[in-house]
Amino acid sequence: MLLQSGFDVALGLGLLWVAWQALNSSDLFKAIVFFIAFGLLMALAWVRMDAPDIALAEAAIGAGVTGALLLGALARLRASNAGETTMGQAGNGQRRFMASRRLLWIPLLLMAAGLGYAVLSLPGYTPGLSAQVAANLGASGVSNPVTAVLLNFRGYDTLLELVVLLLALLGMWSMAGPAPPPSAEAAAVLDGLSRFLTPLVLLVAAYLLWVGTRAPGGAFQAGSLLGAAGVLLILAGWRANVASTALSLRLVLTAGPGVFVAVAAFSLLMSGQMLKYPPAYAGILILIIEIAATLSIGLTLAGLFLGGRPRGERKSP
Amino acid sequence: MPAGSAVTGVSWGALLVLLPLTGAMVCFLWTRAARILGLSTVIAVCLAVAGLGWQLLQEGVYHHAAGGWGAPLGIELYADGLSLLMLIATAAVALAVSIYSTGYFKRARAIRFWPLWLILLAALNALFLSADIFNLYVTLELVGLAAAALTALGGGAAALRGAMRYLLASLLGSLSYLLGVALLYHSFGSVDIAMLAARMESSPTVWAALGLMSAGLIMKTALYPLHFWLPPAHSSAPAPVSAVLSGLVVKASFYLLLRLWLELFGSVSEGIDNMLGLLGSVAVLWGSVQALRQTRLKLLVAYSTVAQLGYLFLAFPLAASAMTAWNAAAYLVISHALAKAAMFLAAGNLMHFAGHDRIADLDRMVQRLPLTVFAFALAGVSIMGLPPSGGFIGKWLLLEAALTQGRWDLVAVVILGGLLAAGYVFKVLGSAFTQAAVPQRARRVPASMEWPALLLACAAIVLGLVTLPVFSLVTIGDAFGVDEVVP
Repeated sequence: MLLQSGFDVALGLGLLWVAWQALNSSDLFKAIVFFIAFGLLMALAWVRMDAPDIALAEAAIGAGVTGALLLGALARLRASNAGETTMGQAGNGQRRFMASRRLLWIPLLLMAAGLGYAVLSLPGYTPGLSAQVAANLGASGVSNPVTAVLLNFRGYDTLLELVVLLLALLGMWSMAGPAPPPSAEAAAVLDGLSRFLTPLVLLVAAYLLWVGTRAPGGAFQAGSLLGAAGVLLILAGWRANVASTALSLRLVLTAGPGVFVAVAAFSLLMSGQMLKYPPAYAGILILIIEIAATLSIGLTLAGLFLGGRPRGERKSP
Repeated sequence: MPAGSAVTGVSWGALLVLLPLTGAMVCFLWTRAARILGLSTVIAVCLAVAGLGWQLLQEGVYHHAAGGWGAPLGIELYADGLSLLMLIATAAVALAVSIYSTGYFKRARAIRFWPLWLILLAALNALFLSADIFNLYVTLELVGLAAAALTALGGGAAALRGAMRYLLASLLGSLSYLLGVALLYHSFGSVDIAMLAARMESSPTVWAALGLMSAGLIMKTALYPLHFWLPPAHSSAPAPVSAVLSGLVVKASFYLLLRLWLELFGSVSEGIDNMLGLLGSVAVLWGSVQALRQTRLKLLVAYSTVAQLGYLFLAFPLAASAMTAWNAAAYLVISHALAKAAMFLAAGNLMHFAGHDRIADLDRMVQRLPLTVFAFALAGVSIMGLPPSGGFIGKWLLLEAALTQGRWDLVAVVILGGLLAAGYVFKVLGSAFTQAAVPQRARRVPASMEWPALLLACAAIVLGLVTLPVFSLVTIGDAFGVDEVVP
């Protein structure tokens, strides 16, 4: 008991310290490393709060994919203005901004105090909707309550969230030009490691997807692992020979939201309510949606890491 | 009546979200036909809005339990007269902007525009239809992301910087809103608006949630002093995107704020309504003065948006004892949506024609682009609040509410804001009549770009003549909590 609360206190303090370091470090690389550490510690905190699904998502997306995206952005920032990647040395305007930043402390501290008071006055334990989720779990087609909420009870939210992901990639494509070419030949270690790791990651992703119907896991975790495999391959210098205009690429990107919308439209036609699954088919429908979503999520995340529209191989003139 | 029951039997609300989403993905997959597919999708959405309107008139408010579970486990869609009004304004602006875009965007940019724009349309519809504060967060996120991505379509450093600033401001607003959602869920064990309304009671947590959610939405609505992101984003985006951003996107977050205020926070928020009124007053005056000072047309129109958004917040302090103030706000929202979209489209035409948007150098535009200048002038009539126009009705109702309550300060703000608006509208029209000092190029503006602007502006004027149908529409579902029928 004492050991556990001691661990929790240390974890809480560690989170605060790492978060502060991430925010306050003038070296962007250091800040990103602290940010990734924050994600990993946060995942531990979710485990301590008995939320293994969120822990998995936090580790895979919060620490893993986001960290990779930040590091990728930093590398391109360094390439575009060589050396000037610290926040500290900057022009006059920046310095004035840093000075006015000190004044911001006052409203921020007031806000933190107000929020702290509000949180402390919250009732300690509220059951929320977990009793109702448990009561309807049998009709949901899956036995993992988190998957039941995400893909059945609140499937409409998840449908829109898959569109958010697609939108993120479309937005990036509309802002950035073609993706930068691979920088150089990958080092032998990275090359060998990615050859060894990629099949393993694919296997784990498939397992997470499959197990998600009854245990922690599911499309978002599996998809982010697929995305991680993509990141690894991109880092090793591998490029799929498809341009952003290729239909195959676009089909996989829209598979998740597309299948979801199709199921919504079909159920609307059959039962008059969108995303209302017949209980007998709920399990298989959820699995189909999750498979499509996993593929789309993986490809979208890898596409985001690529940092631009893939160009495919140009035909020699 | 079989035809009638066929119309009322369809779940038009769900279609309003699914149709544009499907359209967006099909446009993304089949880029060659993006233009025609996109336009057909928008026409289908307009028909679906008409279907929903018919349904509401026949059967009253619309309910749809997504997933078939119903609150609190599932997500409820809900539409009353207020939602319908927003959906109609959205469909009207969307149709005009889509026709305009077929002429405005060349192929390379068109294939990027259509999927983003249709996702934005789906998100706006979903927002106006949702009755679940978490689902509303997801729609807010979709709206913000799509709007920022569309802003960046303008290309160039200014558009990218504007889009980035817009994205960051919008994300901060969404996060603030989300934190409020978490607090409310923990306090009351539901995210359904109707259930929350039934369980609502005053507590520190509710105040914190009220503050966080309102602040986030006010940031997204660009109320002074949180408007800093609006002028650069709205002025650097492509013309049809500017029209959507100023006409619809800022109205979406205002609608949500109004909804939360009416259903949840109205009973627990003493004194905040006066603060919102004060900020609104400052926005009206400061935004109008800034608009007068601009030398670029699109920046002028963007600052005018800051000013006109201020009017919407004048309704909060007045609504406590006069429900007409809410009607005024609703009227101002839709008439500004139509008029400002028309204004941005007209400004886009002037820019397309002359290749610049320096107000002083607009060269005899009245003779060279008469339809466009006429559209700008008509939209200006509604923005100034001259009769007969939607803007006039909205401002008249505000004035009436302020007069009956003896709020002379707000009376002065409404009148002064109208005078300043006249100042900046005539500043543009004045230059459009005169010959410019510098010779300039002239590029043909296709009819598909001139007519949408004019039709939208006409719609803003016609709004001033159809007050009774609009008011009877708004009373469906009694969103404002009144049973009295308004004059």
